Amino acid sequence: MTQPELILKAEDIHKSFGSLEVLKGISLEARKHDVISILGSSGSGKSTFLRCLNFLETPTSGKVTVHGEEVLVKNGKPENARHIEEIRSHLGMVFQQFNLWTHRTVLENVMEGPIQVKRESKAEARDKAEALLNRVGLEERMDMYPSQLSGGQQQRVAIARALAMEPDAILFDEPTSALDPELVGEVLKVMQDLAAEGRTMIVVTHEMGFAREVSSEVVFLHEGRIAEQGPPAEMFANPKTEEFQRFIAKVM
Amino acid sequence: MNPMDILIQYWPRLLDGTLMTIKLTLLGALIAGMVSPFFALVRVHSSPIAQAPLRLYISFMRGTPILAQLFLIFYGSGQFRPFLQEWGLWAFFRDPFNCALLAFVLNSTAYQTEILRGGIMGVPQGEIEAAKAIGMSRARALRRVIFPHAYRIAWPALGNEVILLMKASALASIVTVFDLMGRTRQIFSRSFDFSVYLWAALIYLCITAIFVLLWHQSERRLSRHIDRPGKPRAHVPAKKETQA
Repeated sequence: MTQPELILKAEDIHKSFGSLEVLKGISLEARKHDVISILGSSGSGKSTFLRCLNFLETPTSGKVTVHGEEVLVKNGKPENARHIEEIRSHLGMVFQQFNLWTHRTVLENVMEGPIQVKRESKAEARDKAEALLNRVGLEERMDMYPSQLSGGQQQRVAIARALAMEPDAILFDEPTSALDPELVGEVLKVMQDLAAEGRTMIVVTHEMGFAREVSSEVVFLHEGRIAEQGPPAEMFANPKTEEFQRFIAKVM
Repeated sequence: MNPMDILIQYWPRLLDGTLMTIKLTLLGALIAGMVSPFFALVRVHSSPIAQAPLRLYISFMRGTPILAQLFLIFYGSGQFRPFLQEWGLWAFFRDPFNCALLAFVLNSTAYQTEILRGGIMGVPQGEIEAAKAIGMSRARALRRVIFPHAYRIAWPALGNEVILLMKASALASIVTVFDLMGRTRQIFSRSFDFSVYLWAALIYLCITAIFVLLWHQSERRLSRHIDRPGKPRAHVPAKKETQA
């Protein structure tokens, strides 16, 4: 059986803030169509790890390979730093706080990346952006500014913005944590649809339902290391480590 | 003499002075506005040692009277005349307009740099991260996200700075530039009619009022993305949202 194409490979990622070592050597592979949920209690380093994948946080050491572009970091210095922008353009990112550009309209937010980074024509970018906003159910909000939208709507725009770059994989950094409880559902629904159509996703989340039902693999981080990793059904049914047992007991 | 007569007799000179005041102010503010973004970036990103000369310059410009700065350039350049002639710069410093303009540019650059620095530091970090995450280079992120945002934040303070500069430009009359103040003094010295100063004050007031009005318009255009409760905007569909 041939495995699906390798999309992202992170090898032995270490990250220290001063004398505090947050990540103690994490490796992860994402293949096409994988939906990987990264779980862990706060302080486990899960967000930091995700941000190391697209170098919003520069690892202290390690290697990230995306789309054949490879960046090796030693002593906090990336060796082929010019690949970083390339890697970023192949990885979408959805933030906890949405981080839409507030001085641009919804449509402009989605068109910005394709025009500025991928050098697409305005007409092309607009057609694509309109289609994407249609998909996330915001076709009527296209000319509004982010401040006029609810949190859930803003996050759906952010997802459309990430999709517009036609990324190989999308990173989600606690995408529902800043939302009012009644708005979480609409965002999870969109994410679920993306998973169903075979998008490669790496999701840092507290939504156990999503981790269990939607993801193909769960990674549990504890104190900067992968404590447990595997298919969700198996992991949730019989957690092997004491840490994961305790974590499940706390959040479920 | 009737105040009206003064105006009727001398309006061409007052108009000429007004235009000079506007020219001096706008040119000064504009040139300073072209330099200050680079300085502001240095202030935000460079190491304390690298930006020490810049801070010294800004402290000097903000901590000394603009009149002193003007004298330093106008009379100071005279002291160095042989040196300046050798460098071919005397032609520039010989003209009092150039000296005044240089003083105002140097002064306004210092203020605008600090104003813009505040604007840049006010750009939400998350929006800069979003620009990085989508693959924008540093230069592109500056042009597309950071500066557009920083200028929106800094805009009211920048407008204020231009008004202060306009009023300070009256000092140019002391080094024989015939701006509005210079013309007014000239008219007074001939007519000994005090009312010409009232007309000058009125003209200054009009310039400021018109400028404030225009600036306010541009400010509203720039900040249309900011939600002001109770102020509906034209482009928002009236339809009330039904929450999904």
